[in-house]
Amino acid sequence: MDDPYKLLGVERDASEATIQKAYRKLAKLHHPDLNPGKPEAEAKFKQISAANALLSDPEKRAAFDRGEIGADGTPQAPRDFYRGHGDRAGRTKYQSEPSFGDDDLESLFRNAFGQRSRGGFAMKGADLHFTLSVGFIEAAKGAVKRLTLPDGGPLDVTIPVGLKDGAILRLKAKGQPGAAGGPAGDALIEISVAAHPFFKRDGNDVIVDLPITIQEAVVGAKVRVPTIDGPINLTIQPRSNSGTRLRLKGRGIAGGHQFVELRIVLSPSEEPALEAFLAGWTPVHPFDPRAGMAPS
Amino acid sequence: MMRLDVIVTQFPDLEIVELTGWIDRGWVRPEPDGRFEAIDIARVRLIYDLRRSLNVAEDAVPMILALLDQVYDLRTTLKAVSAALETQPPGVRDAVLAAMAGAAAP
Repeated sequence: MDDPYKLLGVERDASEATIQKAYRKLAKLHHPDLNPGKPEAEAKFKQISAANALLSDPEKRAAFDRGEIGADGTPQAPRDFYRGHGDRAGRTKYQSEPSFGDDDLESLFRNAFGQRSRGGFAMKGADLHFTLSVGFIEAAKGAVKRLTLPDGGPLDVTIPVGLKDGAILRLKAKGQPGAAGGPAGDALIEISVAAHPFFKRDGNDVIVDLPITIQEAVVGAKVRVPTIDGPINLTIQPRSNSGTRLRLKGRGIAGGHQFVELRIVLSPSEEPALEAFLAGWTPVHPFDPRAGMAPS
Repeated sequence: MMRLDVIVTQFPDLEIVELTGWIDRGWVRPEPDGRFEAIDIARVRLIYDLRRSLNVAEDAVPMILALLDQVYDLRTTLKAVSAALETQPPGVRDAVLAAMAGAAAP
């Protein structure tokens, strides 16, 4: 044991009253039963108790001062503290009044979880997280997809019209069941929208690059254009340029439009007649499409 | 199985009269047949410490005991909550811990 005078924080010539006062002050702080959450309090309390037992006995104190006995001169019997009993689960004795019983506990948790139920405290079930990949058209037009839950059960997920990539759907009460009458958790479904080979999306508008032949661009044509609701006929005006943007009103997603961008594509095969014609062709109106790029 | 007269022999200066007074005030509650269980003896020792070593005034003892009983009840309750949380899925535990951290923040 350490020097009992130091333990109690008193001088070597301190009076009995001073020692007692110092001991009581420390004992009130460190009594284990007053510190159920501090395991170290017991060792500390035993030290100061032993120091007090030594110094409050005039004979022992004198013997210690003369160096005849060590600080460990007063061994203490092991003690059964109250906190070992007070902390025991299922203890019915010495419950505080009014009893912090089941009803009280239940109402505490009912308030905490903002709901009413009986029979144990209700807990909301856990949310379940899923990812679901949907096609471009399904996301644009809405669909019903079926997921398989971890427990093997099916879960039908309604994809609302115009759902965006990365959106998270919350299906109320489709998660883990709640405890003791609590509501089930939610199913949270993160949606990834697959890319489409030719439809692209800008908000609720759909954008399609539409390849046309040089003949269609020059003389005009009626062509079939895919939309998310199926192909429709589109009139290409004569002399339509590459990059021309045509709007199909209301053919987008949920009231949005579809924009068709024309792109002139040459045939991959040889066209000797076209090449011969163009080689000998003299435009009526000479035209330099790069005029704007000429150095000034 | 210990009786009143046996209990007082464990304390240097505790008379049966004083211990009876503690029982009368409900500070210590032996079994109906007069038997002291381990928890009752430990409680006698706590009250003895309060009165003798810590020099707590007699009229302050019931207040200290009432507060201590509440602390131990709350600790028991919290342990039950903690044990219940142990059996929950990690998502629930994380959510509770996060909510507690949020509630503890100023």
